[in-house]
Amino acid sequence: MNAAPIASASTAGGSLLWLAIILPVVGILASLLSGGRHAERIALLLMPTGFGIAIAIAIFLWRSGQPLVYVIGGFNPPLGIALRADGFSAVMLVTTALIVAAAGFYARAIFATPPGITEARAPLTFWILLQAIWASLNLVFLGGDLFNLYVAIELLTFAAVPLVCLDSRAETISAALRYLLFALCGSVFYLLGVALLYGAYGTLDIVLLSDRVSSEPVVWVAAGLMTAGLLAKTALFPLHLWLPPAHANAPAACSAVLSALVVKGSFFLIVRLWFGVLPNVPHEAVSFILAALGSAAILFGSVLALQQERLKLLIAYSTVAQIGYLFLMFPLVQGPNLWVAEAWSGGIMQTLSHAFAKAAMFLAAGLIAESLGHDRIRDLRGIGAVMPMTLFAFGLGGLSLMGLPPSGGFLAKWLLLKASIEAGRPIWGAVMLSGGLLAAGYLYRVLAPALSSDILHLKAPPRRSREAVALALALTAIALGFAPKAFFDFLQIGRVAVAGGSS
Amino acid sequence: MTAATLAGFIGSALVGLGLYGLITDPQPIRKILGFNLIGSGVFLLFGIVARKGAAAGFAADPVPQAMVITGIVVAFSASALAIALVLRLYEVAGPVSLRSEHTSNKAEK
Amino acid sequence: MNALGLVLLIATPATPLVMLALCGSQARRDFLSSCLWIAPLPALGAALMTIGGQSSAFAAPAIGYTLFIDKVAGVLLLVVAILWIGAGLAAARREARDVRFSVCWMLTMAGSFGVFVAADLLTFYLLYALVSIPAFGLIMRNGDAASKRAAGVYMAFTILGEAFLLAAFALLAAGEPNGSLQIHDVIAALPGSPWRDGALALIIASFGLKIALVPMHGWMPLTYTAAPLPAAAALSGAAVKAGVIGLIRFLPFDTALPDWGEALAAVGFISAFYGVAVGITQHNLKTVLAYSSISQMGVIAAVMGMGLASAIPGTALDSAVYAAHHVLVKGALFLSIGVAAVASQKYRPLVMWLSAIMALSLAGLPMTGGWLAKLVVKAPLGDGIAGTLADLSAAATTLLMLHFLMLLARMAQQSPQTKTQVAIDASWLALAISSVVVPWLLYPVVVGGLGEALTASAIFKSLWPVLFGAALAYGLRPWDHRLLSVPEGDIINLMEAAFRASLRLGETFERLDLRLRQWPAATISLGIIALLLAAAARASR
Repeated sequence: MNAAPIASASTAGGSLLWLAIILPVVGILASLLSGGRHAERIALLLMPTGFGIAIAIAIFLWRSGQPLVYVIGGFNPPLGIALRADGFSAVMLVTTALIVAAAGFYARAIFATPPGITEARAPLTFWILLQAIWASLNLVFLGGDLFNLYVAIELLTFAAVPLVCLDSRAETISAALRYLLFALCGSVFYLLGVALLYGAYGTLDIVLLSDRVSSEPVVWVAAGLMTAGLLAKTALFPLHLWLPPAHANAPAACSAVLSALVVKGSFFLIVRLWFGVLPNVPHEAVSFILAALGSAAILFGSVLALQQERLKLLIAYSTVAQIGYLFLMFPLVQGPNLWVAEAWSGGIMQTLSHAFAKAAMFLAAGLIAESLGHDRIRDLRGIGAVMPMTLFAFGLGGLSLMGLPPSGGFLAKWLLLKASIEAGRPIWGAVMLSGGLLAAGYLYRVLAPALSSDILHLKAPPRRSREAVALALALTAIALGFAPKAFFDFLQIGRVAVAGGSS
Repeated sequence: MTAATLAGFIGSALVGLGLYGLITDPQPIRKILGFNLIGSGVFLLFGIVARKGAAAGFAADPVPQAMVITGIVVAFSASALAIALVLRLYEVAGPVSLRSEHTSNKAEK
Repeated sequence: MNALGLVLLIATPATPLVMLALCGSQARRDFLSSCLWIAPLPALGAALMTIGGQSSAFAAPAIGYTLFIDKVAGVLLLVVAILWIGAGLAAARREARDVRFSVCWMLTMAGSFGVFVAADLLTFYLLYALVSIPAFGLIMRNGDAASKRAAGVYMAFTILGEAFLLAAFALLAAGEPNGSLQIHDVIAALPGSPWRDGALALIIASFGLKIALVPMHGWMPLTYTAAPLPAAAALSGAAVKAGVIGLIRFLPFDTALPDWGEALAAVGFISAFYGVAVGITQHNLKTVLAYSSISQMGVIAAVMGMGLASAIPGTALDSAVYAAHHVLVKGALFLSIGVAAVASQKYRPLVMWLSAIMALSLAGLPMTGGWLAKLVVKAPLGDGIAGTLADLSAAATTLLMLHFLMLLARMAQQSPQTKTQVAIDASWLALAISSVVVPWLLYPVVVGGLGEALTASAIFKSLWPVLFGAALAYGLRPWDHRLLSVPEGDIINLMEAAFRASLRLGETFERLDLRLRQWPAATISLGIIALLLAAAARASR
């Protein structure tokens, strides 16, 4: 791929980018103004519209084969701010729209405003924050300016944290507080890095910066600070202290969004930073550290998932492990090599398939917990017979996590594995394979007893429509396994060639 | 010592103090204060950066100032959210510290 | 290639899946049990067409799935389809009442057919996973502690094999310069690939695990003993052959690789004798048959190893014909256990005689199907030490099979006579008869005329191992109950203990996690990571 064009003018379809961000914001304002049960209606109404916009962006991108650009207010960078969409942004926009919509439809049963009351706290908060997460994620995926992205990632945190403690139990508030404070630590690190870069180069526009930066001390320090700050928000091992309690105790719909999307937001920025801002700064050793931390996360998260006694905690630790996989792409996307496109596709595929699979699993686990009144793994014997559809969704999600075909998880693993061999770094491939074995281990702990013929009594059977939502997400993760070659070409749009170690 | 160097030192000192508090003090309120100290330090550093006028040759670059103001707003909202959570936690569970693991993995719902 | 061939080829793996999808609604559940034996029919058709000289290929480039069928696949597909029909009829009566069992059955069947016709790496991997993983539900059917244990062990081995295979495939794909994933392309490129040895080691490890080569055999006795008889028949006869076709497809028989070939042959012969040695100490009929499978799969591995060692042409087809014989005989013998248990006085001799013919056919008794199978693999094995070892293994198999027949006769005598089950199972009878007849029908079409094999001296040459084995069995009779009693699965017990011990590591991790998740530790890690990354950015310069 050639270097991205220095685009300082809006392209055709560029205003869609602006629309993608502003639509949920309008929804938030309207929800706040009208309040009560209208918030739910507004959110649900906007979801298909937002999905349509995301699809339209993808189509424009596909047609032109070049990144879409929108310059806000006509002020060109460095003074103004640009929004940009490349292949990775576009698939993330679509994924976000789908999962937010799924979580919304799933949550209607829990976060409906009770009849007779005009407004209830938890539902109103939920619907507004769901839209806020959506808006800030879209901004993260489209922002072309590092400070703008700082604001986006902060908004994302502010929207995500309260979702953890909607039920106001001491346990969840404490988890939320931990999450918030640690994320704030990460924010100041990131901001400090941004300040240093601005001081050195006088711009924060990603494309302009990528031309100006060279490998020098201020860049090293700034990159170190920014990456570490974003890692804190991504919960890469050993910075995962906040993730298990927050993701495991939140309501299922919230856990799904948090695990599937919110941690991917900061991961997306790490990718942007190294492959968008610093493509000309060699970073072999940095990639090694990231991949080593990722490997530790896979091993550690999976072993701890094996130890858990509650289903949602198991899934949360599995997220800790799966985040690790994302970082294995870094050492493989190096230099102008043949396997780079493969590794890039594999990394994005892992991001997408984990998003769908994990969302499906959290939603399924939520249904199980509601129907049984608990989510103790040892008391799930026979759940397969009474909630077959839910368990099927959970199992399909698990299939993708294990990396078994046909699933997006398998395709991701296959691409990364092949790239790791071609790059002469089979160690990362070996890590992936052992991670798959461990994933099979912790999923076996759930699935084998669940499929046994014991008799289990439900407090209340789950609603079919909610089961269907979980199943649809799981099937999407499976369908990704059938992605045609054109899809991978699409992911390459706008990818900047990265400097090799020898340059 | 120029004003810029002095401001730089003060900024760094603030960041250091804030980090120390954030790491060692288990009280949530003090952690929030620590975060604000770091934030102030970073904004000071940003201010120095502004003097360089690095962008399109302005005498004094206005962009960092705009960023600092935005940053202060963000930090303010963060503190407000954190304080709200601490207050809520106090209502529900009484005085708390973040030293111990509140939510042990083995705890059941 | 004609349209019918193409349709049959696609329908071979697709029919079970489509039928399963059609039976999704509650109303059609009753139809599902009939599907168990209807679904293999397209595979049977495709196999017959292929043996008749037709080869077909199919590609769906949009999603990258490709199929093809050749003579090697046709031979195996034919017998595997027959076995799935027979076992399906047997299962339809009792086991299929459980929906989970039927679902797993159909999935396993789809994979079992699919691996024979997969043309590229990803299709093969998908179908291989399908034949391996859903079998869990077949083993679990009885739901008791033993089947849970067996299913767990089976799953552990299977998942490990899948991981090996994925690694092997990634190495194969990386070694193909043009980026093709077609099996024949990657195998053509394998001998010159920089990752040749790694790929071969992983291929042998993963498929060796599937066909239970020693020391990766522990799961097989547990599994076949725990599974219901029709499932054991299908698994031992058909599903295991996924490993055989894997070795046939992924070993580069066109290039002589003496080191790898001889290593594989050595492991194969060790398995062949080890299976018999442990098998004769067993008293459960299913366990004895499982050990016989270990032994027979060892012989096939040895045949392929010798073929690989000196690039003997035709090794692939020869191994397939040998394996094809084992499919029907082993499947029918498993069903014999159930038939003998309920057969009335009148039918008992028929059951015993047919079982005896099939059992000794495994040992290569002249004029049986097994004799033909052994004739076919004479070429790769040669007359040297490998040929002698093969004869000795035939003697050993005789010993094991006589042990099986004695146990079978004892059980038939002790079983209570019930009046309800007078007639013998037609599906078993059909399967048993086809196990005798099919090799005779197949041999002239696939291999050629019998020629000098029918001379008296040649027949005697193949008779002596059987006589020697029988003599050995007679000699060992006094020690029948004094033989060392080995638990089923032998070394699997040690493996399970080691596995349980390794689980204790989890507690250490848990303690470490608690420490790392303390505030001070996490914030300090954050600082350290920032410094490390900055230093690393400097070091990358």
